Amino acid sequence: MCIFSLRDKKMKTNNPDWLDPKKWLQVCSESTDADVKTAISSSSPGIREFAVLMSSAASASLEQMAQRAQILTRRHFGRTISLYVPLYLSNFCSGGCVYCGFASDRKQRRRKLGESELKAELKALKQKGFEDVLLLTGERTPAADFKYLLNSVKMAADVFHNITIEAFAMTSDEYKKLVHAGCNGMTVYQETYDPGLYSKLHRWGEKKDFFFRLEAPSRALEAGMRTIGIGALLGLNEPRADVICLFQHALHLKKKFWKAGISISFPRICAQSGDYEPAYEVDDRLLAQMIFAFRICFPDMPLVLSTRERAEFRDGIAGVGISRMSAASRTTVGGYHHEAGLSEKGQFDVNDTRDVKTFCSAMRKKGLEPVFKNWESVFRDRP
Amino acid sequence: MNDLLKLGKFNFKSRLLIGTGKFSDVGTMLKAVRSSGTQLVTVALRRFNREQKSDDLFGPLSKLKQIKLIPNTSGAMNAKEAVRAARLGRDLSGSPFVKLEIHPNPHHLMPDPIETYEAARVLAKEGFIVLPYMPADPVLAKRLEDVGCAAVMPLGSAIGSGHGLATREMLRLIIENSNVPVIVDAGLRSPSEAAAAMEMGCDAVLINSALAAAENPEKMASAFALAVKAGRQARIAGLMPKSDVALASSPLTSFLSGRGKK
Repeated sequence: MCIFSLRDKKMKTNNPDWLDPKKWLQVCSESTDADVKTAISSSSPGIREFAVLMSSAASASLEQMAQRAQILTRRHFGRTISLYVPLYLSNFCSGGCVYCGFASDRKQRRRKLGESELKAELKALKQKGFEDVLLLTGERTPAADFKYLLNSVKMAADVFHNITIEAFAMTSDEYKKLVHAGCNGMTVYQETYDPGLYSKLHRWGEKKDFFFRLEAPSRALEAGMRTIGIGALLGLNEPRADVICLFQHALHLKKKFWKAGISISFPRICAQSGDYEPAYEVDDRLLAQMIFAFRICFPDMPLVLSTRERAEFRDGIAGVGISRMSAASRTTVGGYHHEAGLSEKGQFDVNDTRDVKTFCSAMRKKGLEPVFKNWESVFRDRP
Repeated sequence: MNDLLKLGKFNFKSRLLIGTGKFSDVGTMLKAVRSSGTQLVTVALRRFNREQKSDDLFGPLSKLKQIKLIPNTSGAMNAKEAVRAARLGRDLSGSPFVKLEIHPNPHHLMPDPIETYEAARVLAKEGFIVLPYMPADPVLAKRLEDVGCAAVMPLGSAIGSGHGLATREMLRLIIENSNVPVIVDAGLRSPSEAAAAMEMGCDAVLINSALAAAENPEKMASAFALAVKAGRQARIAGLMPKSDVALASSPLTSFLSGRGKK
């Protein structure tokens, strides 16, 4: 099943109608305080309410939005925070993303984990208590190709209950093979939902194809993945336009794939080894507003925040919208079993550098139980 | 009075079942379990952590001698997965009970009637005491009874919603026609709703979010225990009949009993 019509595909510089943000940006810009009040207390909020909650008018009601977001988060997710950890398999990359420290033209020591190193990484993460691991690679290269990723998934699935991936966009057959190997879910950020800007930011390679990437979650779900994570890299484009598209993308997938577990991430572009300056600023208040708006309109959707963000921000927003977090992350290849040894730059700088124990203790102080294992490998076809 | 809840070959004095997810910590959950006086506690297999004690819900609960544990299959999306999970749950816990939960949509968590029926059929044959979480559908309730479920667990409203007995009319039909205990599972927010469920003839209720999300889970658990007892006693005592019209002191049909009657 393809979620786009052929007509959409031909219009390479235009978004398909269902993704077009114009109408809702208009609603957003015209929202009044009264609209905001109505949206916060709406019993069945949708895209209109989301647009209102993303308005400048709504930024004055951030506290009320937070209160509502906390009630809804607690109702669906309880007083818990689900934990995962990213594991970088390789920083080889054929991509030309202007904003990324791992892009193929960046001066970067390239490496990938060999089998014994991967085992050591898996062991190190297991010892820290993790059961939910996100495996990451860059764009497809001969050094780190599909076969390499598949083998890594198999090895990780032998050790952990929940394995998900964040890698290059793949074909349906490839996603099927990953599912069979024990992969439970896939994360793919569209980066920006503006096709013209997307084309400029992704200078070469397979990733340059906006629609192949946009369709990746559908292909993964058709192939049998249970969960997909989507997001926009905040700061590349006018943030309100991108999150309105992100909302519509989530809504679209939710309706097409009734069994899909969909989560939303909020990666804010941060310092890396290139010289890219983000075109738009997304400050803490705007990021919080996005998270609250998503929570109010999608009360039962996991909302994810990584260690890109500072400890203070993460502690503040945990349970007030955010229901899932990474912890004690390294964005370097081999960063877990060589904790002290590696000085190289990661894909991005980790801002929350706390270890697992310190992070969990901060969560408990907030009255939130960190949950390491929230899935069971027996649910896989081949446990 | 010997008023017991019978599930399989087991009898229970308490008619309040407790779910264990969503609590802020294990200690708080255990306090709520104790203060509820429950004898039946359900725990998700996916929250059994055999390798990290501090993340494990099963270990601490298994030490409570006064309760029977019911592993649940939450996370399963179809019958096959639920059956595998039930078997593993039994191996790990030694409990003959299984709370069958199959919700393919991880967002609204509505139970899948088709997969639930299939899994219940298989598990009942294997000797499990099957307690299926189900939509409030009177026909499905009978079908699940027919394949050997020890009780049926229709939802009051969506999990975690706190919308109470939104399915009241369907529950009434299920209760009227059931030969196995009817346990309302999901959606109850307040003790008064639990009492109302018991008054209308439910045999027990299962509570989780209403405790975990309460300001004081321990006290709320004890409030639910009282409400369930009150509702059950009221049911046994027999509520006065309800009438929408007042009974007139001068009946309009008195002329029909007069002398001229033929």
